Amino acid sequence: MRRNALLVSAIVIGLAIVTLLSRTIDARRANNSDQFAEEPLYVSAPTAKRLSLAFNGLAADWYWMRSLQYVGGKIVNYEDTHEGRIDFDGLASLNLGLLPQLLQVSTALDPQFMAPYEYGAMILPELDSNQAIALLNYGKAQNPSAWRLYHHLGYIYWQRRDYLKAADVYAEGAKLPGARPWMAAMSARMKGEGGSRAAAREMYMHLAETSPDEGIKAMVVKQAMRLDSLDERDAIHSILSDFKTRSGRCVLSWREVIQPMLAAHLRLEAASGAPIDPSGTPYELIKNGCDVGLNVNTKVPLK
Amino acid sequence: MIASDATRQTNPQSSDQTSASSVVSESSSIGADVRRTLAIARNAFREAVRDRVLYNLLLFVLLLIAGAIFLGELSAGQESKIIVDLGLSAMLLFGAFIAIFVGVGLVYKEIERRTLYAILSKPIGRGQFLLGKYLGLCLTLLINVLVMGVGVSLALIYVRRGWDPLATKIWPAIFLIYFELMIITAVALLFSAFSSPTLSALLTFFVFIIGHFSSDLKSLANTSNSAAARVLFRGLYYLLPNLSNFSAITQAAHGVTPGATPFALAVVYMVAYVGVLLAAATLIFSRRNFK
Repeated sequence: MRRNALLVSAIVIGLAIVTLLSRTIDARRANNSDQFAEEPLYVSAPTAKRLSLAFNGLAADWYWMRSLQYVGGKIVNYEDTHEGRIDFDGLASLNLGLLPQLLQVSTALDPQFMAPYEYGAMILPELDSNQAIALLNYGKAQNPSAWRLYHHLGYIYWQRRDYLKAADVYAEGAKLPGARPWMAAMSARMKGEGGSRAAAREMYMHLAETSPDEGIKAMVVKQAMRLDSLDERDAIHSILSDFKTRSGRCVLSWREVIQPMLAAHLRLEAASGAPIDPSGTPYELIKNGCDVGLNVNTKVPLK
Repeated sequence: MIASDATRQTNPQSSDQTSASSVVSESSSIGADVRRTLAIARNAFREAVRDRVLYNLLLFVLLLIAGAIFLGELSAGQESKIIVDLGLSAMLLFGAFIAIFVGVGLVYKEIERRTLYAILSKPIGRGQFLLGKYLGLCLTLLINVLVMGVGVSLALIYVRRGWDPLATKIWPAIFLIYFELMIITAVALLFSAFSSPTLSALLTFFVFIIGHFSSDLKSLANTSNSAAARVLFRGLYYLLPNLSNFSAITQAAHGVTPGATPFALAVVYMVAYVGVLLAAATLIFSRRNFK
């Protein structure tokens, strides 16, 4: 009995010592891991596929989760050292140099794995849209019947404001069996009014509709807020211009234009009468009451 | 010969009786052979269970539970795919380890414990003995694979909080994994028929790895400048088991099932290859001197 108690104590104390030692070693190694964290992957995509034997699917999952952890880790690190949250448009400042390679290896290991293509289409254009296009073109070659990849590629070209190319890609994807009917409509829209807000709204709507990724859906919600806010600011700007034309001066407070704002179906704050943006934050009067702007606390993205 | 023909002509009834009794005794002898082989198989299975081989199922279940609970947060909506990849890869890996490490000890243990002498002193052929051992381990692996397959299906249903079509679509891939394990077991048995367990395990592990590099052997054969190298690589390509014929895990994770023809061809390939390996093992084992 006493012997058992001694052995159990030895195990517990031993584990505690091992844990402490691990922490000490980790603390010493921290600088090294930072130094090597950004080193390019030693194993190229084809080699990784060859070495993974029958476990290439699992290896692809591993690289996929590593991609997510890589971006997530950078975001957490950024938010810990800076104030505020980071959006898709701020990703360029994160130095995500390893991400293209991680996604390439993941898709080379499992070319039918759609999530990395989709993720690449959303994130890579912020870093290098050519790499995003290369990834999606590889996906197209490996999955000739995956019309969603054409949608994502069209999105990349649309972001680059290459509307004609986007139209071509949508038209090509629309011909595939199983493609949604709106693919053809998107092609026409890209050709006719690629830069319009209506096109942007439709683009984001289809992205949310076709993606199971919660991150993308959240991005779409923010972009929809941005587009709604742009519409609202146009309406408010027009009301403020009308007021200036009629009275020869800019407004001193929102209360002076409450009626036209209600007529324009804008949501107003009860206390001040200020119009509220889609994130629930009141707009601000700028340029001495001649124009409208976003509050610094708003959650509506600028880009 | 002539005399016997003559006898047959003079007494056709007695000739019929003789051939009938020979057919009966032949079929009863085949029946006894099968019974004896199955008895060895049953014992090999019992021995594997006694050696706690099936305990690996516990580890597998823990792996799946951990995967099902934690992967949701790490995989951004790809839980089902990762559960299939993780589950079927673990199934292949665990199965390969069992096939290799238990397979190489099947014959060796009997020799070391000297129980082989007692077995072979009975009317049991060496080929029967090997076949029985092989079938016993295959049965262990079958149960292992079936339980793991059910575990993966249940994990898929759990992560989807409802029915997931993948739960049934993964089964052809699971059977292909089992066929691959049957080949690996036969390879282990072949090596253990003439070599030590350590060396047999090492060689079988090499065959498992090279078996998944078959396409590289073929491309080496096609691109090599030397005629001798071409012959060597082509020979190795056809001689070594092409285990990529049984790799359907990645496709299964996307809900793609192998077609009936590739599946049937894989089964025929497995049967033919296992037949060759068991015949070779019997040939070597029959020549071994246990004095």
